[in-house]
Amino acid sequence: MNSAVTSIKLVLLGEAAVGKSSIVLRFVSNDFSENKEPTIGAAFLTQRVNINDNTVKFEIWDTAGQERFASLAPMYYRNAQAALIVYDVTKPQSFIKARHWIKELHEQANKDMIIALVGNKVDVLENNEDERKVAREEGEKLAEEEGLLFFETSAKTGLNVTETFVAIGEKIPLKTAGDQETDSNGVAISDEQRIDLANSGNAAGQTAGCSC
Amino acid sequence: MAVRSGPHEMSEKGHHNAHESSSVGVGLVSSLMKSWRISSSSSSSPKAASDPELSTSRRSSQSNNDNNHRTGAISLMNDQKFADSDGNFDAIAKQKTSTIRTPSASYSPMRYMSPSNTNNVTNESPRTSLLRHNNHHSSTHTLTHTISNTTTGNGREPSSSRHHDRYFKDLDEDWSAVIDDYNMPIPTILNGGVDSPYALSRKSTTSSINTTSVRSTSFNYPQLPHIQKVDSSDLRSEEELDAERNVQELNSMIQRIAKFDDILKNKHIINQQQLREISWNGVPKIHRPVVWKLLIGYLPANTKRQALFLQRKRKEYRDGLDHTFSNQHSRDIPTWHQIEIDIPRTNPQIPLYQFKSVQASLQKILYLWAIRHPTSGYVQGINDLVTPFYQTFLTEYLDPSQVDEVEKLDPETYMTKEQILDIEADTFWCLTKLLEQITDNYIHGQPGILKQVKNLSQLVKRIDIDLYNHFQKEHVEFIQFAFRWMNCLLMREFEMGTVIRMWDTYLSETSQEITSSTNSTTPTDPSMPPLTPKEQSSATFVTPTNDSFRSPSSATITNNMNTSSDNSTRIRQSSLNEFHVFVCAAFLIKWSDQLMVMDFQGIITFLQNPPTKDWTETDIEMLLGEAYIWQSLYKDATSHWL
Ligand SMILES: Nc1nc2c(ncn2[C@@H]2O[C@H](COP(=O)(O)OP(=O)(O)OP(=O)(O)O)[C@@H](O)[C@H]2O)c(=O)[nH]1
Ligand SMILES: [Mg+2]
Repeated sequence: MNSAVTSIKLVLLGEAAVGKSSIVLRFVSNDFSENKEPTIGAAFLTQRVNINDNTVKFEIWDTAGQERFASLAPMYYRNAQAALIVYDVTKPQSFIKARHWIKELHEQANKDMIIALVGNKVDVLENNEDERKVAREEGEKLAEEEGLLFFETSAKTGLNVTETFVAIGEKIPLKTAGDQETDSNGVAISDEQRIDLANSGNAAGQTAGCSC
Repeated sequence: MAVRSGPHEMSEKGHHNAHESSSVGVGLVSSLMKSWRISSSSSSSPKAASDPELSTSRRSSQSNNDNNHRTGAISLMNDQKFADSDGNFDAIAKQKTSTIRTPSASYSPMRYMSPSNTNNVTNESPRTSLLRHNNHHSSTHTLTHTISNTTTGNGREPSSSRHHDRYFKDLDEDWSAVIDDYNMPIPTILNGGVDSPYALSRKSTTSSINTTSVRSTSFNYPQLPHIQKVDSSDLRSEEELDAERNVQELNSMIQRIAKFDDILKNKHIINQQQLREISWNGVPKIHRPVVWKLLIGYLPANTKRQALFLQRKRKEYRDGLDHTFSNQHSRDIPTWHQIEIDIPRTNPQIPLYQFKSVQASLQKILYLWAIRHPTSGYVQGINDLVTPFYQTFLTEYLDPSQVDEVEKLDPETYMTKEQILDIEADTFWCLTKLLEQITDNYIHGQPGILKQVKNLSQLVKRIDIDLYNHFQKEHVEFIQFAFRWMNCLLMREFEMGTVIRMWDTYLSETSQEITSSTNSTTPTDPSMPPLTPKEQSSATFVTPTNDSFRSPSSATITNNMNTSSDNSTRIRQSSLNEFHVFVCAAFLIKWSDQLMVMDFQGIITFLQNPPTKDWTETDIEMLLGEAYIWQSLYKDATSHWL
């Protein structure tokens, strides 16, 4: 086990109400709320996970989705190493918005930024596949074209939420003591057993001892 | 809260000014501070100085302020000089300490001073700069015991102290002073003097405790239990005090209600100025719906016109709805949709907002407002701002005994459809009035908010340079936490009841200009509703026809707003916006000591989830009072504001 902690600055982008905050809430507190207040400005949260024997600390900026707040987004993605671009699989408009964000990040953000395209709310489809408005293939295709990771998630059930973050963590060069594993890019397949969920209590609780 | 004066701030200048200050005659500050006097350490009595518990100095603060010429003491005047024009403000080397938990009521009498007094202070720059360091102290007497308590354990060098034996007496007198301003009868006062700070200590205890545990090596936050102990053992049993306190609270409530009745009932023209003054300190529940409508400039001050006026505005709203939802009007789908998504996400913790009838009402109000104001349109946060109005106006239709149940009852069970529409209309117009004052907050780029955030950072830089520097060092940007404070007027930080109390004050702070224009319109043209300049320019909202709800006319508003009417907008915007920045500053600096030992992550996390969900009205009143005092002291700062 490595003692070095790699911090990953990650930003969430996407149309209002696609479930960005819910994804973060699931990841950080393993919780879900039916009616989550709209995010104003941006919210900051952290979570640690163990990935391949390394502790990775995600420093997450969950941005507000409404168009009016979009001018604030650069401040949050400017220094980010990773981004989740989230859309709602039941809302075609949100997929269009996701394309915009991809374009903007390619143009404006850090060139080595690891980006994941995330289609959220797949739980809605369980009872009614008609609700699906964005085909899985569509998302996959876009992700492939743009060189993004792709996941379909449900913040409600937790499906693929942690997986998304872990996949990002695996693509980010890790700070390791011996530096031998500097780039774990795709080398080790994520083993969910290794994710230290004991740590997934509550971001605020971890604050005290943290020095970064 | 702490005002930290680093060496740079506590320069010789401050010391020097100390002497001048006492010669400054009548001034707002002296009146503000009423019977408070801050005296230099030289006046400390030996007895007090020898009591470590009362010492206000400590090693760490001295090393922090090693340029200070002296450490300070605060003492309370022992005699009752409410109108004392000669506030003897000796300089005090401000220490890295002290939070105020001030009984809110102590601010009340200060709230409205004559403009000339205000100018005195503003122009007296040396004095102002001096007071910068002391404002906390001078603003509060509780501070005194704050210090004495928090120093315990590390203040081993009593280089300053206060007159301990005077404390209680002063307290009583000061409280009576406060209550006196409410025209309270004397017997009431004396008990109030005892029990109010007591109540305060109860409330502050929780927060003090957690602060102290965070930072045990320094004293920051008031800890009042000490006083409490003395108090209760010396005087009476807790139950007795409790009972008396209840009686007191009841008494003072009755008094207040009577005072409002006096202003509101059987008057041809309601004295708006009086109403603002008294409302600043809180409006009784039963008066709130009417008072808010008056304060915001919706309801005319001329009571003879009110009924007709309401009738017309309510009709206007309905016509607006009819028009908007008729087939002549094409629905703005994205806006409708965005609002629809946000409605169930609005105050999700309050049952009221999950009732279908309420959701339908809010949807209509917000949608109508959005399409009537296309430059801004619907912006998240406005959904928060609409709710205090709606909820408050509902209480008018509840039996007084049920007013507290408003958050749980479905309006459909106690109101007719017509009445619900009336509520919607009132809410719509009041929301419109409120947003008029802060239009720049929601237009493209949200310049109003950016300015306020900037102003906040500049203010904090002046008031608490250490905190400001710490933020810089940690790369904390004000916008990262203050954006929401501005966008939602701090509503997300507090429980609804607290927010509503806060709005009593905020609505009293809404532009006086609106009021004065109302007043001037009223006598000359009794047939017309009060107009704000903007309404006049658009004329949209006064003609009760369907036409008035067409979009093109609101486009006119838009254009005007960005060009010609900009100035008038600016003037009218100043008061609420400005005051809010001071409230935010007071709010931020309240946590200063805690924040100083946090890193980026800690700071942001803390400020996004401040421990304020259990704040009571008393807490919010203290905050408002602090903000008010700072606004008085830093008036000059605002002249440089954007
Ligand atoms: N069924 C279902 N609902 C979800 C899911 N994720 C989020 N929601 C709901 O969608 C609504 C919006 O979720 P948020 O997480 O607030 O969305 P957001 O993207 O953060 O929205 P903004 O902050 O306005 O940008 C909430 O009512 C959530 O309960 C999901 O996976 N499944
Ligand atoms: Mg969100």
